Amino acid sequence: MEIKDIISSGLLEAYVMGFATAEEISQVQAWAHAYPEVADELSAIEKSMEKYAFANSVEPARDLKSKILDKVSTNNSATKRNVVVEATPKKVYSMSPIWQRAAAAAILLLIASIVVNIIYYNKYKDADLAYQQKNEELIAQTDKLKSLDQDMSIVQNKYSRPVSLEGLPAAPEATAKIFWMKNTGEVYIDPSNLPEAPEGKEYQLWGIVDGKPVDGGMILTSKKGNRYHIQKMKNFGKAEAFAVTLETKGGNPTPKGSMFVMGKL
Amino acid sequence: MQDPQKHSEEDLVRLLQAQDQAAFSYLYDNYAGALNGVIFRLVEDIQLREDILQEAFVKIWNNFKQYDSSKGRLFTWMVNLTRNLTIDILRSKGYKKQQKISHDENSVSSYQDKNFGVEQFDSIGLRKQVATLKPDQKVIIDLAYFSGYTQEEISKEMGIPLGTVKTRMRTAIMELRKLLEFS
Repeated sequence: MEIKDIISSGLLEAYVMGFATAEEISQVQAWAHAYPEVADELSAIEKSMEKYAFANSVEPARDLKSKILDKVSTNNSATKRNVVVEATPKKVYSMSPIWQRAAAAAILLLIASIVVNIIYYNKYKDADLAYQQKNEELIAQTDKLKSLDQDMSIVQNKYSRPVSLEGLPAAPEATAKIFWMKNTGEVYIDPSNLPEAPEGKEYQLWGIVDGKPVDGGMILTSKKGNRYHIQKMKNFGKAEAFAVTLETKGGNPTPKGSMFVMGKL
Repeated sequence: MQDPQKHSEEDLVRLLQAQDQAAFSYLYDNYAGALNGVIFRLVEDIQLREDILQEAFVKIWNNFKQYDSSKGRLFTWMVNLTRNLTIDILRSKGYKKQQKISHDENSVSSYQDKNFGVEQFDSIGLRKQVATLKPDQKVIIDLAYFSGYTQEEISKEMGIPLGTVKTRMRTAIMELRKLLEFS
């Protein structure tokens, strides 16, 4: 390529403007090295662009110069003098504003993340609590269902023979049911229609065998216990009738309290 | 130029290579405005502009050994460094290349208003001279020089074929040189 072709190629301008490709850059540098005319032309383009930049100059803020000089002299003295003390603070000081902003942004992000974490943790705790409550409810329901199932299995047992115990003058409203198993002689009682036993008293079941009352065991009526559920009592063998009396807690060998309900087999 | 301690570019380069801080101060006084002009065209945020100019000068100081006078003038190296740094920073912040110039026809006079520092160069005279540059020639120069557009981007922006970008650029710069010949 002849020198005038090089000059008119537009590559020199592209080179100065900073948009030449890597290949073009090395080409231009080789030409400038080989031909003084090309070097001069390049320099002339550079100078005019330089002037153009000065024509468009914008003076920076006045205090910026001292900031920059400070920074440069700090960097410089730290490296030249090999200062051991204060090496760490110097490093911090020389962090560029861009990184300072990045660090600030990172800290803000971290704080935001912690806040979000706390919010979500609280939500999680609430949800977990609600879940546990539901779970407990479910367990309670299942327990209830189980005991109802048990009750039903006694009622539905084909050997079960129900005996209604009717209310006596002491408690005309009260009733109870005995389920007597013909095959095994087992005795179950459903006390759900007995009035609640007063403090210090308990209901006791009696089987009337050969005209005499025989202890059939204490009926649980405590609130936490199996009050409303059918419960297994003592075995009598063959009883003529059943009765329930209110006795002092723990029961008596022979009935002493008033009789509440009674029924014949 | 009123500065009594005027350095030739060669002296300045030699002193800076020796990490002379007085030379750096001189460099700042003489070139900060022109480099800031490039940043000004690319960045709207004042604080960010200051940060970038500061970083550019620190970089010039720290990397001065990389400057090779056989490959071009000092200012060309500094302006490329500053432009690339600015574009890198803008990119890292998610900005796209933008051209502030085209939206601001009276840019030359508006820069003058903001120009509150001491004029080291006769930039007012220069401003008057470049103000007569034809708008389509000014745009192509500004896109490349101030906005850091690649040839492809200029071709797209101006709607001219890629091959024409170089010749159009050459014509524009020739025109600019003519205007600046007597300064």
